[in-house]
Amino acid sequence: MNRYILHVAICIFIFLSSCKVEEIAPVAEAPKNIAGSWRVIKATRNGTDITNAFDFTQFRLQFDSAGNYTLQHKLPFLVNANGKVELDDPAYPFKITFRPEGGTAVSIPFNYPTVTGTRQLSLSFSPGCALNAYIYTLQRDN
Amino acid sequence: MNMKLPRLRIKGQRIWMLTALVILAIVFSFCHIKITKVTIPATAVVGDVVPIKLDLDLSCNSDGSDKLILGVLMPKGWKGTQNLTASYTGSKGNGNFVMTPLSTLAPHGDGKNWPDYMRATFGIAGNLIDDMEWVVMQSDVPFSYANGDKITGSLNLQLKVGADNNPTIVKLAYVVANTTNGFTSDGNVDAGYGATAEYYNEYIGDCFTVTGGTGDLVDFCNPQLTTVSPPKSLDNDLVTLTFNSNVIKTDLTGSDAVYLCATGITNDGRTIIICEQTDKTIMKPTSGGRYEITIWPRAFFGVNDSQTLTNMTYFITDKTGTKKIGYGNTSAPFTYKFKCG
Repeated sequence: MNRYILHVAICIFIFLSSCKVEEIAPVAEAPKNIAGSWRVIKATRNGTDITNAFDFTQFRLQFDSAGNYTLQHKLPFLVNANGKVELDDPAYPFKITFRPEGGTAVSIPFNYPTVTGTRQLSLSFSPGCALNAYIYTLQRDN
Repeated sequence: MNMKLPRLRIKGQRIWMLTALVILAIVFSFCHIKITKVTIPATAVVGDVVPIKLDLDLSCNSDGSDKLILGVLMPKGWKGTQNLTASYTGSKGNGNFVMTPLSTLAPHGDGKNWPDYMRATFGIAGNLIDDMEWVVMQSDVPFSYANGDKITGSLNLQLKVGADNNPTIVKLAYVVANTTNGFTSDGNVDAGYGATAEYYNEYIGDCFTVTGGTGDLVDFCNPQLTTVSPPKSLDNDLVTLTFNSNVIKTDLTGSDAVYLCATGITNDGRTIIICEQTDKTIMKPTSGGRYEITIWPRAFFGVNDSQTLTNMTYFITDKTGTKKIGYGNTSAPFTYKFKCG
């Protein structure tokens, strides 16, 4: 009889101790960190690849951690002057806005895919005629 | 083991059957179509309203009802959506065409609207400058047809040419189709309606000349010694100049390297000449005797922030700079205006 009670007690103990509510905190999406020096790895004009038709190699777009951007060896681009940059949402951005010093702010869709394990920044804009659409794909300098 | 499947009882069975029949009639309704003749004047003057007549034959192998689609390929600068009207007359009735909304997706068009579907299927119909668009209209009401119908009709277009004020030489092209079948065929034979009995037809016209206007001649039809891409650009675009050495024999035929010798004119009247034979001006060989250079005009001519370039003139030279090729292989320079319209 004692043995029977012992077995029942063990079963009750196992039953009570086996399940517990586990609270899983949702993993917060990391803020998108675009700081660094970016170079053009691909450029298209109206859908045609012009990466090798023009010297894009010297151009650099630099973002610092304080929200500033600078342009080096300028190209036809979204903006012509250095200034501030911001994302509309640090974790889930849809738009990136450039605010050039003394100029008008320009917002474009934020396209930040990961390609073969590396983040890329894809910027679409029309620096000349509105019908001429350019897409620069940028990658961080190593 | 024999199991008897339960007999299906569908509520409103007759209504469903009728609906299915209607859907089948819509999906499988078709007429083969062809443009038998296009009548257009040989030339026109900028601003003229040009009458264009398309004669059509249709051969139907089913009952059905469709709207007719009409596409016209023309220079973008002509602003066709504002300057093209059309009407139809035929054995099934008369009426007008209206612009097909850009939001209307074409059947079998992989999610494209009609102008994009035409562009993807027919390109720019052998024209040489990619600054053209398909302007697409549809008949105001559907026309009904019966199996075996042979329909004839005419489309009467009124096209105001040269809205960009440029004298132009261009191959206009026309496509007719219906709102159900897109650019498909049934794979059978219907004499005279293409190899596979097509539900659409394209007709490419001869070179059509528009004279007058104050702009530069835009020749979509004949190969040019040099071309500029994009055809419309400003000084803050990346502009590609291509020299085609195979168009005619010139002093530069057979050259290893050719160079750009250009003059930029600014809005404040300055003239900036860049005529050197260096890496800055070298035109790289591509294929088929072509050489090209892509420049950012603002940087190439070194204008300051307060200046803009209004136009440029240019020659192509050899390595020594002594052999110079100009417009039409003459001593006059090629000209280009920086503008968007």
